[in-house]
Amino acid sequence: MALPAHISPMGRLAHYGYLIFCGSVLLFLIAPILVIVPLSFNAAPYFTFSREMLQLDPSAFSLRWYRDIVQNGMQNPNAAFGWAYLVDSWNNAQWIHSLKNSFVIAIATTILSMLLGTLAALGLTSPGMPARGLVTSLLISPMIVPIIITSAGMYFAFSTMGLTGTFTGLIIAHTVLGTPFVVITVTATLEGFDRNLIRAGLSLGASPVRVFRSVIMPLILPGVASGGIFAFATSFDEVVAVIFLADYDQRTVPRQMWAGIREQISPTILAMATILVLLSIGLLTIVELLRRRTERMRGTTL
Amino acid sequence: MMSGTIANVRPPAAQLDGAKRRQVLRQYRRSQRRDSLRALALVAPLCVFLAVMFGWPLATMLTRAVSNDDFGAVLHRTSASLAEWDGTGTPSERVYADFAADLRQARDEQTMGQVTSALNFEWTGARSLLMRTVRQLSSEPENGWKEKLIETAPDWGNPDLWILIKRLAQPYTSRHFLAALDLEQAADGSIQGVGPEKAIYVTLFWRTLWVSAAVAGLCLVLGYPLATLLARLPLKTSNLLMMLVLLPFWTSLLVRTTSWMVLLQDNGVINSMLVWLGLVSDGNRLSLIFNVTGTLIAMTHVLLPFMILPLYSVMKSIPPSYVRAALSLGASPVTAFWQVYLPQTIPGVLAGTLMVFVLAVGYYITPALVGGQSGQLISNIIAYHMQQSLNWGLAGALGSLLLVGVLLVYWLFNRLTGGQGLRMG
Amino acid sequence: MAAVTFENVSKTYDGKVSVVDNLNLRVKEGEFLSMLGPSGSGKTTCLMMLAGFETATSGEIYLGERPISRVAPQRRNIGMVFQNYALFPHMTVAENLAFPLRVRNISKADIAPKVKRALEMVELAHLGDRLPAQLSGGQQQRVAVARALVFDPNLVLMDEPLGALDKQLREQMQYEIKRIHDRLGLTVVYVTHDQSEALTMSDTVAIFNFGKIQQLATPDEIYETPCNSFVAQFIGENNMFSGTICERGDGVCKVRLANGDQVHALTVTDAPVGATTLLSLRPERIRIDPPAADGWTITTGEVIEQIYVGDHLRVLVRVFGGHEFVVKVQNRSAGNGLTPGQKIRLGWRASDCRALDAAAGQAGAA
Repeated sequence: MALPAHISPMGRLAHYGYLIFCGSVLLFLIAPILVIVPLSFNAAPYFTFSREMLQLDPSAFSLRWYRDIVQNGMQNPNAAFGWAYLVDSWNNAQWIHSLKNSFVIAIATTILSMLLGTLAALGLTSPGMPARGLVTSLLISPMIVPIIITSAGMYFAFSTMGLTGTFTGLIIAHTVLGTPFVVITVTATLEGFDRNLIRAGLSLGASPVRVFRSVIMPLILPGVASGGIFAFATSFDEVVAVIFLADYDQRTVPRQMWAGIREQISPTILAMATILVLLSIGLLTIVELLRRRTERMRGTTL
Repeated sequence: MMSGTIANVRPPAAQLDGAKRRQVLRQYRRSQRRDSLRALALVAPLCVFLAVMFGWPLATMLTRAVSNDDFGAVLHRTSASLAEWDGTGTPSERVYADFAADLRQARDEQTMGQVTSALNFEWTGARSLLMRTVRQLSSEPENGWKEKLIETAPDWGNPDLWILIKRLAQPYTSRHFLAALDLEQAADGSIQGVGPEKAIYVTLFWRTLWVSAAVAGLCLVLGYPLATLLARLPLKTSNLLMMLVLLPFWTSLLVRTTSWMVLLQDNGVINSMLVWLGLVSDGNRLSLIFNVTGTLIAMTHVLLPFMILPLYSVMKSIPPSYVRAALSLGASPVTAFWQVYLPQTIPGVLAGTLMVFVLAVGYYITPALVGGQSGQLISNIIAYHMQQSLNWGLAGALGSLLLVGVLLVYWLFNRLTGGQGLRMG
Repeated sequence: MAAVTFENVSKTYDGKVSVVDNLNLRVKEGEFLSMLGPSGSGKTTCLMMLAGFETATSGEIYLGERPISRVAPQRRNIGMVFQNYALFPHMTVAENLAFPLRVRNISKADIAPKVKRALEMVELAHLGDRLPAQLSGGQQQRVAVARALVFDPNLVLMDEPLGALDKQLREQMQYEIKRIHDRLGLTVVYVTHDQSEALTMSDTVAIFNFGKIQQLATPDEIYETPCNSFVAQFIGENNMFSGTICERGDGVCKVRLANGDQVHALTVTDAPVGATTLLSLRPERIRIDPPAADGWTITTGEVIEQIYVGDHLRVLVRVFGGHEFVVKVQNRSAGNGLTPGQKIRLGWRASDCRALDAAAGQAGAA
């Protein structure tokens, strides 16, 4: 942003002050995430940059905390790398165990949320829907109620249904929390959907099923997909419900981190955090690509 | 669009006569009903799912907060015979006999704990009193249970204790809610504040309130200028900078909290840097964590994107011509900002502040990890009663109060914005 | 005295492409000047530089005698009507009008009558308490005009102010703006891409393309004597056909067409003999069955099609071995007996056919 010639020195000062302020806020946002990445390669079990690290001494960096993710809990962590080592790690390492749980629960949650959420969004945007506003706010209310209350209530209710300490219980809990995101994104997509396209498809000779498959689906799919990714991220990140409802067998990555931080924070957590940052970069990229695709189709920007 | 479609479908009923008109109207209503049913059928699965898996749990929590089931169930004979007692003098022999029978059964079924903890909460020394009493239950008394129990412990001759037991044996109780507000019911039934050493919840509610308000305020102060910049920059640049806002938004809460623990520790990155820069001496490292400061810093960071996104989306919809118009009409840039730009961003400010405030009020993880003693919020004490003290009734009461508070804030927001609802990025 | 002067003004955003290219322009006191051109021709950028929202890369703009590139927009005292009006949505109509007076620290007692008078001028005195969103498009437009005038600016800028209105309302508003201009003796710079708007309202029209003024003249001059092929094509309808100059005389020339025919034309271009030229001929200047008179070009053609427009008929005629000419015939009586395939004689005054430069092909014009 070039400054016009008529700006006074005071105005100039204010402008640069404003830019510096915004830069600092951006730094505040991103710095915590960036700091843990190099620290996860720290060879020493400390949480600050050692002199050697700042001098980029290779011996100050190591992958030991990443190795710990794979090994911690293995029956025979010192075995030579090979098939047996991998099987041992897959079956016994704590972090691998929680990673498996996280993915199983998140994927199941995603599928269930997308199914329920998309159906509900189709209903909410169809012309005959009575009391639309009220129903919408009821359907997204799990986003509004503090998670601690939801989890406490679920603990009471699920224990009478025998759902505590089960995968089913966790998947249900996460679906409750994740579905509102699908409802919101798909409803937004459908509201921007021009119903004349359906009529056009029919008038061009396609059957209703064909129109749904070749016209409606491709257009609302980005919305459904980003809703699904939101649901996935919600489940993958969620820890309060897991604390209340899960046993050791269902321990997820955030739950494992929670336990680790409360007991004794070890740099292994930073290594895991780095992996999670990579995962969130991946999810963010997918959502951005989907959003841009939609915008390109609507011809609004870019 | 929707109303337009309906208007087109509506038949010109006025021009039709008698039977024909009724028939058309009927067909029209039928087609409307079919549309509604189809829409409802699509919404139904999620509605049912949420009713069972979300609505019912919340209802369970509310009933927990008022129910007295355990106590009344264990002492079911006693509570039945106490119902006839008018509360003056000591109860009849029958009450004492039933009480002994109930206690014996509870001892055998190992349900004494529920009686003990409830009674101990309100009657000092109830635990040892009950333990002493239970030991005397093996042999039948010679002169009836009344005499034997009073002999064992004179408390059993105190009518106040029996009034308390009668009250605790009711199926519903207000004691959890009273306790959640640092109140209790005195022996005579009047409501009074608890002693200062037990009064912690009101303080916690106030702290939760001010911490949340402070976090919302901090987010607004940090987020507003940044959002204006993002809304003004060309799309290519702003999309790039937006990534810096969205990445924290997408990064796991625990990752971000962990990283603040790493940064804020006494030996963490920030203190090490300050010492290295000579701003702080090695002995006087700032205590930035395990107190309210840590909670404020970490929660502001975690919730900042929730402020920036609605602000940005509102600001993006304000064309630059408004500020230009104000300037061309002679307003200084400052006047143009305060009188023209800012009023138009109010919906975004309200939405963002509400989002951050409501999320902050219910925050659990971050205060638990970085808050220490002084940085704990109401959620943490709910979790404590859920998991450690196992006082579920109190946890339910605290949760219900929190829920009512959150819903009130939403209601207020809807009133303020005229029911426009939330706008997210 | 000139109210506004552009002196060698250039503007570029990326250092490569000039949006405005070495522009010189004078707007006289009390003049209504329209900037007309296709989108991206630089007209809006000129307006924004004048208002102070864009800065010229080089050159200077004067308001009267005063150079203004170092004057902040809010100190220029220029009234502006924006494309979508930019009425402040959170202020009532009266508050919108009071805004420029308030920021000038005019006392409350003086503001009220001024606002009232401005509202009366645009016939909206009864709507002062409404919010802009509660007004119709036409009413919003009037409020925008009133707001730009209420503080007695030296100069009023209008950026496509009628673009959002439907045709009928637009014509009515053109008349009203013109009336206000005449009554108050304002200097107005008006940007539009609608040529009929520019032609009906303005004292002077500046035709923009590629950041340059192609022609600056009165509306009738612009229409009757376009100085180059871009203006000819952009304003009104024209039959354009190209040929080679084979003879240049005193103001007239002889042009050979692709099929070998030769026509006389008024020389506007300064291209030499042998160069290509684009000839332009207004459809309403072509006569069917013309009188055999001196200075007329006569040819024959074949009727392709006849289109009924209402007040006139458009006849499509194939001439000169392939060119399709549009001929406008006034609708005097029912049917003129022309049928497709019919051979007819047609002709025009040689001075109505203008030989212009050959560059019109690249202009992205309508």
